Amino acid sequence: MSTRRFPIWIVLGAVLVVALVIGSGVLDTTPVTAAQRAVAIETGIKCPSCEDLSVANSSAQTAVLVRNTVRQLIGEGKSDQQIQAYLVSRYGSAIVLVPPASGWSLLVWVLPLGGGVLAIAGLTTVLVRKRMNELVEPADAARADATLDAGASSDQLDARRQFLEQSLADAFAEHRAGDLSDQDYQALRKRDTARLAALDVRMVATGNVGVAAPVAGTGDGAAEPEGPVPTIMLSPSGVRPKRNRRQRLLISGAVGAFGTALVLLVALFAANRLPGQTPSGNATLSQQAQIQQMLAQAATLENDHQPGGAAQLYQKVLGENPQNEVAMAQLGWLEYQTGVQGKSASLINDAKAKLNQAVQLNPGDYAPRLYLGTVLLDQDNNASGAVAQYQAFLAANPPAALLHQAASLLRQAYTQAGVPLPSEVPAD
Amino acid sequence: MNAALGNTGVLLGFVAALVGVVVLAVGLAKGRESTIRAGQIYGPVVLLGGLIATVAMEHALITHDFSLAFVADNNSRETPLMYSICGMWSALSGSILLWGLILGGYATAMVWRFRKRATEPLVAWATLVVYVVTAFFFGLMLHAADPFQHVVGAIPVDGAGPNSLLQDNPLQAIHPPMLYLGFVGFTLPFAFAIASLITGRLDSAWQRETRRWTLFAWTFLTVGIVLGAMWSYQVLGWGGFWAWDPVENASFLPWLVGTAYLHSVMVQERRGLLRIWNLSLVIATFSLTILGTFLTRSGVIQSVHAFSNSTIGPLLLGFFGLTLVTGLGLIAWRGDRLRSVGGIDSPISREGAFLANNLLFVAFAFVVLLGTVFPLLYEALDGGQQITVGAPYFNRLIIPIGLGLLFLMAVAPALPWRKTSIEVMRGRLAVPAVVAVSVVVACVLGGSKGIEPLAAFGLGAFAAASAGRALALSVRLSWRGARASGASSARSILAGWRGFVGRANGGMVVHIGVVIIAVGLAAATAFGHRTEVALSPGQTSSFAGHTVEFVGTRTVKTSSSSAFQAILRVDGRGTYTPAITQFGAGSQDVGTPAIDASWRDDVYLTIDATSTSGAQLTFGVVVQPLVMWLWVGGALLVLGSVLSAVPGRRRRPTDPVSAPTVATAREPEPVAPKDAETVADTLPEPEPVPVGS
Amino acid sequence: MGRYKARWIGIAVLIIGAGLIAVLATRPSATVAEVQSPLVGHTAPVITGTTFDGSAFSLPTAPGHFVVLNFFASWCAPCQQEGQDLVAFQFEHQQSGDASMVSVVFGDTLSAARTYQTMLGVRWPTLTDANGKLTLAYGVSARPTTFVIAPDGRVAAYIVGAVTVKDLDRVMSAAKATHA
Repeated sequence: MSTRRFPIWIVLGAVLVVALVIGSGVLDTTPVTAAQRAVAIETGIKCPSCEDLSVANSSAQTAVLVRNTVRQLIGEGKSDQQIQAYLVSRYGSAIVLVPPASGWSLLVWVLPLGGGVLAIAGLTTVLVRKRMNELVEPADAARADATLDAGASSDQLDARRQFLEQSLADAFAEHRAGDLSDQDYQALRKRDTARLAALDVRMVATGNVGVAAPVAGTGDGAAEPEGPVPTIMLSPSGVRPKRNRRQRLLISGAVGAFGTALVLLVALFAANRLPGQTPSGNATLSQQAQIQQMLAQAATLENDHQPGGAAQLYQKVLGENPQNEVAMAQLGWLEYQTGVQGKSASLINDAKAKLNQAVQLNPGDYAPRLYLGTVLLDQDNNASGAVAQYQAFLAANPPAALLHQAASLLRQAYTQAGVPLPSEVPAD
Repeated sequence: MNAALGNTGVLLGFVAALVGVVVLAVGLAKGRESTIRAGQIYGPVVLLGGLIATVAMEHALITHDFSLAFVADNNSRETPLMYSICGMWSALSGSILLWGLILGGYATAMVWRFRKRATEPLVAWATLVVYVVTAFFFGLMLHAADPFQHVVGAIPVDGAGPNSLLQDNPLQAIHPPMLYLGFVGFTLPFAFAIASLITGRLDSAWQRETRRWTLFAWTFLTVGIVLGAMWSYQVLGWGGFWAWDPVENASFLPWLVGTAYLHSVMVQERRGLLRIWNLSLVIATFSLTILGTFLTRSGVIQSVHAFSNSTIGPLLLGFFGLTLVTGLGLIAWRGDRLRSVGGIDSPISREGAFLANNLLFVAFAFVVLLGTVFPLLYEALDGGQQITVGAPYFNRLIIPIGLGLLFLMAVAPALPWRKTSIEVMRGRLAVPAVVAVSVVVACVLGGSKGIEPLAAFGLGAFAAASAGRALALSVRLSWRGARASGASSARSILAGWRGFVGRANGGMVVHIGVVIIAVGLAAATAFGHRTEVALSPGQTSSFAGHTVEFVGTRTVKTSSSSAFQAILRVDGRGTYTPAITQFGAGSQDVGTPAIDASWRDDVYLTIDATSTSGAQLTFGVVVQPLVMWLWVGGALLVLGSVLSAVPGRRRRPTDPVSAPTVATAREPEPVAPKDAETVADTLPEPEPVPVGS
Repeated sequence: MGRYKARWIGIAVLIIGAGLIAVLATRPSATVAEVQSPLVGHTAPVITGTTFDGSAFSLPTAPGHFVVLNFFASWCAPCQQEGQDLVAFQFEHQQSGDASMVSVVFGDTLSAARTYQTMLGVRWPTLTDANGKLTLAYGVSARPTTFVIAPDGRVAAYIVGAVTVKDLDRVMSAAKATHA
């Protein structure tokens, strides 16, 4: 190649550098406008009500809001960091589209860059070593082969032989076509023929005489596998001791078992399911969930002034779980009210029994206490007993609404018993 | 009835696949050829099962059979026929059905194609692996993602209808099937890779045979991704086509690794090198399709594209784990037997370029995967804190990798195998370099600013010119070949078409397509402008070199939708109607954009806001240059793939880069030399054909 | 590495893969994941605005009682679902005066929001927030969003989605317990 070509490449390089420097805008002295700053910030903030878009791209209302705020804050003279910090303080750290280079999120920058550095280092070492290989003397190359081939099977030696022959043929064709310079071709030929000769010596020594398999690719590239079609066996070379096959089966069985175990483990234990779902995905409710559902339904029915239906559901719950004190208390209260209306002493007694049991089952719950206290007050005229229950009721942190409703009852009980009214009871 | 038929089909497919696995396993273990041959029939039986189930589902959708939960959730009486048919793949369990159907089709095709070699252990093991994958997907449909589940409670009178965003555009009909043809297609090379590891048949014969299959799958995956970008552009309303959304990334990851594989396999065919790379890449491609399926269907990542939450996540994750364990385990076990016998002779060679190519693509895939799963990782590490990894992160890391790939695309086609020198390269790349620098200078003079787009334009021109050079050489060789074989000058010019077909030449066309896409991407993202204008009827506004006039509004009702349209005239020429559309009563409105596309730029119009006072509307206007180039580049990609599948003037893999393809003269036949010294003597004298360089 | 390069690389990738699978398997579904607000536990931004009829409204920074701040729109289904609960809650507490309610219109036309509030029987102030300042100050991205502000002015809870009376009661008693 004549040296006349050199200046062209230098000229090209210079023109390119100049054009890129001008084009990249580093020479621009115009300061960044507010609008440009705004756009730069906006492309880094996620639109709060969208999935992936930045506020610069989205036309959602929240995006418009954020854009307006950004521009306003720029107008007030805040810096980019301050604006971003303000938005993060409102929306949380997930509003920024670029993960910060601090804390754990540093990983997302370090891993690719570190991996890239490693890859480049690996590539250069591999290729530099190859470059050094070129200069290696043929004898050294042969020796290197010998150490690599120590203990190689006959198949592998065959493969190496094929490779070297193919390599020589390739080199010849490439040299003829002008891809390979004379000097390189001679060096390559010398090296590879030496390696081939050494390999032949080794093969003779290990007893694989004259195994000259056909050079791969000498056909017209048709899709035929090399060699005869092998018989059906797990191992390729046909004559292997049975122990090897058993070993193979063992290994593949172990891999299969491990894999299946992995699949099952992940599917059964580590998976996240909605409450009440089995691994196969059906959402059958557990008994607990069923009871909760029934209780909720019964409460709705009570609010709808359907005590009959509610009572039925409570009975069902008690049928499933005779110790469920919520159902017991509510059912007791319903029974009491029905009993009072219908003047049925047996119902009233039954209700009292239920309420007592409910209180026993869960002494810390406010509802049975309230019910029991009211029954004691109204039915038995037992003011002190009622007060005892009401004390427990107040101690159990009842909701304000219930306290309001029950206030008059409490007042009545306390005055009747002669006990001062606690401060929690709201005055009328 | 539909449910019964469908369940029968699914069960048939599952059982057939399972029985196929057992039969083949028994046949391989005992070495009985007849048993192995008997295992072949199960591929078509699986396909039959899939077909029955698909027909049942389509029938249910078309006849609006709301006793099926799937139909009740994704179809309604007003849904037009086309969207009813396509509704099968609009939601989760139907999409698994589509996957199973396509898998059955591929299994049948494989069994047919290799029927003459069915008893070879390689083919038998590969078929077994395909059956295992098929059994898994049909098994998913049996319980976890049952498409024929009965609706809970009373049968509704009318269904909920498909998601509004899915009714807006006919691309919904073809994007998923194309994508799945790609995803599922990678099962075959994977099966062969596993089979070759198990049997120890470690030569590259199976790769040659499955090359067309891999190319087929890759082509469809490319089409699927490009169509997905087009659909996203036309429907989502923000004027962009790629948002680094987790679902988009999930489809992109197998494409990246598959492309690396397609390139790297050439090195193995030619020089027997990079064998472990190739096996790893194939296994990685398939594993990434499963991981991608998991990410889109498990609900762990929020995405605008994601399917609804379901419980097949853990199963898919488990299968991903199994694939990974099997593939890596086999490589770890057999891998060192695979080590290439030789090595790369020189870094400046096509082998070196392909190795660098592999590394760049793997780096690309690593960045995309890390960015996609990092929010989950961070949440696990930092106890509940959340971060977002968005487009700026991906762009920042990927632009350098993309530019590196463009550079390799330019240099590699001109690189000879084995070894070369700077002088040779200087000579070959002189013209492309001049073209590249002129393009950069022209862009700078034309006012383009920004180092990234300029670098993209420059390297793109470099790569396109290099590909063009390769094509020109190839065409010229075909002319010469035709001329030398005695054709008339007119016919020999026509014979130049041969210069465009074949693996290398089709590949060059694909590269040109990629360059066009890269240039379009760089221009659209770097030089796009967006704004919002509030217009009253009759008002005109101008923005970024275009004028937009608000003509008026109208409401258009069809049987399935009602659209409030605004009529806009762009540049005084054509009218475009962005709209707000409502599909079915009571569902939410979706904005429908209107696009004025031209070779220079796209004007993208949306209705952003209506106002209660008066008839003023707020329009979003996005002007982006060279968006059409993306779709043209995509078409060229597909054309190039098709061209490369056509058998070209068959060059032996060992022919050097500049080898003449002479029609007459004896093709040089490298005979198997017993003694290497006599190689030169035994070969016939070549024709004195001047070789271009 | 040398002879067994493939084995080591395979094992390394397997370990990384196992880690990835472990992380992915233990993630909760994104749709039920708890959304967090950075405002919880900190002083609530000042609540000022104009009501439907144009009069100004503002709350002191330490209001002295619980304030339930609800962002809503008339067309969103969960907002309609929680409407009754909000009215019930306000009714419960209007006598004791330990909690008051403020609603803010987020992404809706004023007339629709007004009609909706009237139909619901809302008796507490509703702010129009025309310029979105309050919405942004509270980092609201979805509707309905409810903030519960403690008497000393700190944000006690942040709930996205329909709230029930029970939720509000629970939050209030929890806040009382920690500050009692």
